[in-house]
Amino acid sequence: MTSTHWPLVEVAARLLERHEREAVLGDLLETGEGAWRGLLDVLGLVVRRQLSLWKNWRPWLAALGLALPGSLLLMGTSVCLSLTYQRLLGPRFLDLIPLTQQDELLPWLSQLLLLIGCSWASGFAVGSVSRRTLWVSIVSSCLPCLFCLARFRVESLSRFCLLLFLAPAIWGVSQGVRVIRIKLGPSIILAVSVTVLMLPTWASPRIYNLALIWPAWYLVVTALGDGRKVERSCNGMR
Amino acid sequence: MLGEFEYLLITAAAGLGDKAYGAAIREEIEVTTGRRCSIGALYTTIDRLETKGLLKTWMSDATPQRGGRAKRMVRVTPKGVQAAKDFYDAVTRVSRGASWVVNRTGRAL
Repeated sequence: MTSTHWPLVEVAARLLERHEREAVLGDLLETGEGAWRGLLDVLGLVVRRQLSLWKNWRPWLAALGLALPGSLLLMGTSVCLSLTYQRLLGPRFLDLIPLTQQDELLPWLSQLLLLIGCSWASGFAVGSVSRRTLWVSIVSSCLPCLFCLARFRVESLSRFCLLLFLAPAIWGVSQGVRVIRIKLGPSIILAVSVTVLMLPTWASPRIYNLALIWPAWYLVVTALGDGRKVERSCNGMR
Repeated sequence: MLGEFEYLLITAAAGLGDKAYGAAIREEIEVTTGRRCSIGALYTTIDRLETKGLLKTWMSDATPQRGGRAKRMVRVTPKGVQAAKDFYDAVTRVSRGASWVVNRTGRAL
């Protein structure tokens, strides 16, 4: 294998797991395979590995059940939040808000917390459900964002208001990828909080509300399942 | 029942014994069959067979002739040996009477 093409093969091999990368690159070096053939071999293995992941339900849930609908709904919530904020404050600062408008401040704050909670929970679920297909989930989330950004027509708002949910969602994804499962206590607090915060807006279509909060309850279910496994293993040790 | 490629892989690994690892098995299959064996097919089949309990794999220590990279060593389990034997028996049985089958004296039956 020529030294000029070898870095290309190494870059492609980064898409493989560490042990497999070691074995495959070692095999290619040992057999002295041609650069392009080696590259095709590595890419072929990468494609096979990625395709095999989709035999499981997890990547489908992460990409089509969480990332795609989640980003659409959270964009809607982001715009609602921005419109309320605009109506509350207008061009003035917080300390100049009239007393009557301060009554609306609490619902707005609860909406803000709801957006943060739901975005974080959705991100965490996406990150933890299927780490190895995370890039597909990211694409599934980006496509509706790009579509909505291109078609955004509210003149009084910046189109970037659509993306308010991104920061907590990215934070959730990074936590989900590292932690995998949240503990039962925090997961229940999160799910109950977002459900309670959702109650004032329950008049709007319920399926919308359920779609927003179900990732938080999914985390509770996974935490419960995890707790039972620990309990079973402890009983087995007794 | 094993697939054709699975049988080839198990047989090559069994023949190589303690020296069975990715590149060696691949070379053995290519030399024996005269067909190219892709790394993708090799490693995904090794994984599948290991999941079925027909192979056991582990990473060896890194060696300088491979640029300091470790080998994925392969050993056929007793279950793998039995599966290969079953496949061979089935192929032998089904081939009896076929026009292309040559008897032990070298004559077509």
